[in-house]
Amino acid sequence: MYGSRLPPIALTTNCPSCGVGLVPEDLREQVYVCACGHHFRMHADAWIAMLADPGTWEERWADVRPHDLLEWKVPKPYQETIEQAREEGLNEAVRIGTAEVAGRSIWLAVFDFRFVGGTLSIVAGERLARGFEQATATRTPYVLIAATGGARMQEGVLALMQMAKVNGALSRLHRAGVPYFSVLTDPTYGGTPASLALQGDVNIAEPGASIGFTGPRIIKQATYADLPPGFQSADFQLRCGQVDMVVPRTELRERLAHLLRLYCRGL
Amino acid sequence: MAAQRDTLSIWQVVELARHRDRPYSLDYIKRLAPDFIELHGDRISHDDPAVVAGIGTWHGLTTVFIGQQKGRNLADRVARNWGMMHPEGFRKALRMARQAVKFGFPIISLVDTPGAFPGESAEERGISSAIGAAIMEWFEIAVPTIAVVIGEGSSGGALGIAVADRVLMLENSLYTVASPEAAASIVWRDNTRKVEAAAQLQITSRDLLAMGVVEEVVAEPEGGAHADYDDAARALDAALSRHMEPLLSMEPGELLQHRYERFRYVDSLVAADPRFGPKVEPKVQVSAESGDAAGG
Repeated sequence: MYGSRLPPIALTTNCPSCGVGLVPEDLREQVYVCACGHHFRMHADAWIAMLADPGTWEERWADVRPHDLLEWKVPKPYQETIEQAREEGLNEAVRIGTAEVAGRSIWLAVFDFRFVGGTLSIVAGERLARGFEQATATRTPYVLIAATGGARMQEGVLALMQMAKVNGALSRLHRAGVPYFSVLTDPTYGGTPASLALQGDVNIAEPGASIGFTGPRIIKQATYADLPPGFQSADFQLRCGQVDMVVPRTELRERLAHLLRLYCRGL
Repeated sequence: MAAQRDTLSIWQVVELARHRDRPYSLDYIKRLAPDFIELHGDRISHDDPAVVAGIGTWHGLTTVFIGQQKGRNLADRVARNWGMMHPEGFRKALRMARQAVKFGFPIISLVDTPGAFPGESAEERGISSAIGAAIMEWFEIAVPTIAVVIGEGSSGGALGIAVADRVLMLENSLYTVASPEAAASIVWRDNTRKVEAAAQLQITSRDLLAMGVVEEVVAEPEGGAHADYDDAARALDAALSRHMEPLLSMEPGELLQHRYERFRYVDSLVAADPRFGPKVEPKVQVSAESGDAAGG
């Protein structure tokens, strides 16, 4: 296992699914999957460490930074949110770069849910779109790890416009015949699945991930519906034809390597 | 009229955009193309009544019209699902767009929705991927396409039919990442703070013009579009003609490249000036009867 590469992640003391007491070191070794199958949320650094062959990750466009363009004030000034996240060492909701997986070059874009809920912003959109353009130009496969609450409210309609900006670039990648694999982790909601995250040649969901357009709280508010158990789960999306497979994190790296072999003959 | 524009609060604009007597898509389409024929269905499973689509003659050209449609009375509103589309609505729109490409018809798309339907049936039928696929495919629809926000333009439900060569807004319409209620619910977990949310989101036509997201704001009759449907439609028609004309002479490849760059650099004003936003004086260029070209 490659868990030892991963950075430590803050954990609860017990697994929320089975209640077992957690030993952080053991859990890290298991890429933050409990023996019961519960998948803990991982942040971008952990995803990159898990997927990229050691020493191959080259981050790009880390210098593109967000701005408080709407002068958003309540409930919390957006500028404060940005600065606080930066002090915590976070660099926007999407990080992107090139890497190798089992010796094959890829573009790797990873959402970081810790940065304003992994929301699609101008900076996130810019990094994703530049990545699609570069991947198209160099005919390099593109792997997305999604963990997102949708478009970022604090950037208003320009956050919405990122959905078009990114999917325009994605449409060119598809037309150029370059593979795109999308991994949907917990949670993946709103403008991100409604733009790029469900348009993969292969869509892969993590077990137990919640995936949908509108979150359950807002659906209940809007329609007063009693939502069935398992609504918007990874298995629900498999049944509804939205994802191709549900793959445990412990098997994801091998599965991606397999897909890259199958899709990249001749590339 | 200028005085009226200056004194309206943001929430008054929201109320005008949602006014129960406001002209809806079919009110405009029937005036733009009196011989309009509505076509139905996504050819897979359903016909979505929240969006109308069809063809008609506009300035001598067979033109494809797509429009989100609200209902006038309660029964009608229920039947139209308040203009909130299901996945099949986006597929119907794209089916008509493909038909436009086949015959070389231009497309006029009218946006008027509080958002895609936030319910179980939409989720089960794949609303996310339907919107994502639609947004992606619009970049390959190689015919002149203009989208106009005529009332409410909220969230991915609006954007799903608004990836176009030109995007216009009627003066008292709104275009936003999420409806004020949804945004309040997301930010404060309290949808009663919709007025604050609307103010922060900057959703009026002058806000969007200042941000460079739309090309032109189309003036409405005194009191709002509902005061005079014919006048409102005439102003819309004049703006549409002015913007469509240069598009009609563009080669398909040029058109698609232009559309790509339009959205690829839609935030370039912000990139150019990071402090862009409320500090920039809104330069509202309202189309006049004289046909003053506006926007850019």
